[in-house]
Amino acid sequence: MRPPQFIHSTTFHWALAVAGVLAIFVTTLFGFIYWKTDSYLIARSDRVIAGELNIIAAVPEERRLYSVEQHLKEDSRNVQFAGLFDSNGRRVGGNLEQLPPGLRADDSVQSVSVTRMLPTGKESSSVIRAIARRTPSGQVVVIGREVDEAKKISHVVGLALGLGLVPGFCLCLLAGAWLSMRAQERVEEVNQRVQRIIAGDLRERLPHRSVDEPFSKLAIIVNGMLDEMETMITALAGVGNDIAHDLRTPLTRARLALERGRTNATTLEQLQGVVDRSIVGIDQALTIVTALLRLAEIENSRRSAAFGSVALHDMLGEVRDIYEPIAENKNVALRVAATHNLTVRGDRDLLIEAVANLIDNAIKFTPEGGSVDIELLRAEGETIVRVTDTGCGISEQERDAVQRRFYRSDKIRNTPGVGLGLNLVAAIVRLHGFRLAIFPGPGCRVEIICPDAQQLKAIGKAADPAREAYAGMADNSKAAMVTAAKSI
Amino acid sequence: MAKLLLIEDDSETAEEITAELADCGFEVEWAANGIEGLDKARLLRPDAMIVDRLLPGMDGLTVIEALRKDQVRTPVLVLSALGAVDDRVRGLRMGGDDYLTKPFAFVELIARIEALLRRPAESRETTLRAGPLELDLIARTVKRGDREIDLLPREFRLLEYMMQRSDQLLTRAMLLEEVWNYKFVPATNLVDVHMGRLRHKVDGPGDVPLIHNVRGAGFILRTGP
Repeated sequence: MRPPQFIHSTTFHWALAVAGVLAIFVTTLFGFIYWKTDSYLIARSDRVIAGELNIIAAVPEERRLYSVEQHLKEDSRNVQFAGLFDSNGRRVGGNLEQLPPGLRADDSVQSVSVTRMLPTGKESSSVIRAIARRTPSGQVVVIGREVDEAKKISHVVGLALGLGLVPGFCLCLLAGAWLSMRAQERVEEVNQRVQRIIAGDLRERLPHRSVDEPFSKLAIIVNGMLDEMETMITALAGVGNDIAHDLRTPLTRARLALERGRTNATTLEQLQGVVDRSIVGIDQALTIVTALLRLAEIENSRRSAAFGSVALHDMLGEVRDIYEPIAENKNVALRVAATHNLTVRGDRDLLIEAVANLIDNAIKFTPEGGSVDIELLRAEGETIVRVTDTGCGISEQERDAVQRRFYRSDKIRNTPGVGLGLNLVAAIVRLHGFRLAIFPGPGCRVEIICPDAQQLKAIGKAADPAREAYAGMADNSKAAMVTAAKSI
Repeated sequence: MAKLLLIEDDSETAEEITAELADCGFEVEWAANGIEGLDKARLLRPDAMIVDRLLPGMDGLTVIEALRKDQVRTPVLVLSALGAVDDRVRGLRMGGDDYLTKPFAFVELIARIEALLRRPAESRETTLRAGPLELDLIARTVKRGDREIDLLPREFRLLEYMMQRSDQLLTRAMLLEEVWNYKFVPATNLVDVHMGRLRHKVDGPGDVPLIHNVRGAGFILRTGP
């Protein structure tokens, strides 16, 4: 029979370790108690037999044998030993056959080994505590005692140990097994959900109970990741549609023009006109493709490697210089108010592109005589780049829509552009871990909000882990989950 | 008559390009794969090369790398369908002198080939002269005849670039790349607007116009009649 799965889990191993440590500790404790008690009882017994010796030795010689025999008579449990030996070592009385070998008659209690005859007729050999004294007349008095209490104690201790430790140990193991199985159950539950997600149901989320349980914490993190992924995948799916629709328009125009031209053009000039219009249509389609590829490049970018310190003051000045003539052409005032020299961590070229897009939009959608203001501010741990214009603005309802690809508000239907500008800005902002905020009118106010480095770390730059997860999800999901569960 | 080598694997594209270049007065040799291209480059020693990046046999960048290792300094224009910034950077770092993404307009191709063939020699001159214009690179001043022209830094750079390549057609893309350093700036009329201002400053009333707009192509600084 295969050993059950939980045997391999870390939880079980931990339970085993704890049980082992507990066993060692308890055994040591009991051992200590035994040793202390044993010592005490022996000491007490020694005092008693020493006292006995004093009494018997004090008795006059002729009455000594009687005393010894009386003493032994009172011993109901056969634990006492007493002996009288003459100066030659011959037995005079008592229940000792001979002087116990090794016993020194120096008035100190020693452990010696004796053999005696039991009433049953058998011989028994045991270690006893005995004390001996040589009286002035040459007689040797020996008093001894079996230390049977020690045996009794060790018996009790052993029993306690057995009764307590073994069930305790088993209980520990059972608890470990149960916890491990529970964890495995959770893993299986999560795995089921994950399989459903992989199969395509992006809306599934992992279940979690109380917030403090580590498993729940993990579930919450993974859910956050799944939210990100769902957004990305939905966006990606959306792109396919967007591309199809918006590429088809200029390409259709080109095709129609060519078809009609072929049939209807009579002069070379007319045909050249047709061809020119077709080239324009094709170029438009190519612009869209390039812009989309650029967006994809940024969104999938590992350009975090090109991040450095960007001096915003200088950067904004550069963008202002680029757009100044264009604004002037349209009689729109372009002003930069950047009093502090603030820096952020990012890709300088991408940030210029983002700000340039915002300014380009601002100028494009601001009527003549209007103004565009670029400000650089600080607010509660964040650096903000703000672009304000006096144009038509973006209404509350359109605020989310404008960030979608190819969205162009009706208000600006007649201005040139494809509708990818804000999308690009949003992609660049996201790559950096910044935020894009659009405020409703009058006019338009767009802000790029850059949290400070520490805050960025706390947020965990959500985009990246989600991306990593997305890349490896299908293959590693199960393995990762099992590894995670093993360590809980 | 300048000799060009075109290394391009798509025969239709190659035919069109060869025909167009021939019409412009170039002598064109064609190779359809990397290895053949490398051999021909070594053998024919063309004045300039047009190399497609994605080639069978040996890819375009490897061909260029091999030539550079042999100390061959022929200017190379890299053609590629890969248009990402990193691709451009890589193409130029591997030894290419210019990078053009497909599809492209012929005028773009021709202008760039001309620019490669007539690359301004490395000169230690601190003053550029083109027609009546005099540009001091150290002092950052410009004079037309006796008249001082006051230019903004970007306009100065623009004029400097044009004067280094006087009498050559410069496309908007080339100008954007050179003067604005590949910055992906959305304003499509950026070059036009700046050029307009520059022209206003350089070609004053009564002056013979030096900066010309070539319709549908780009700009040119004409020094001669």
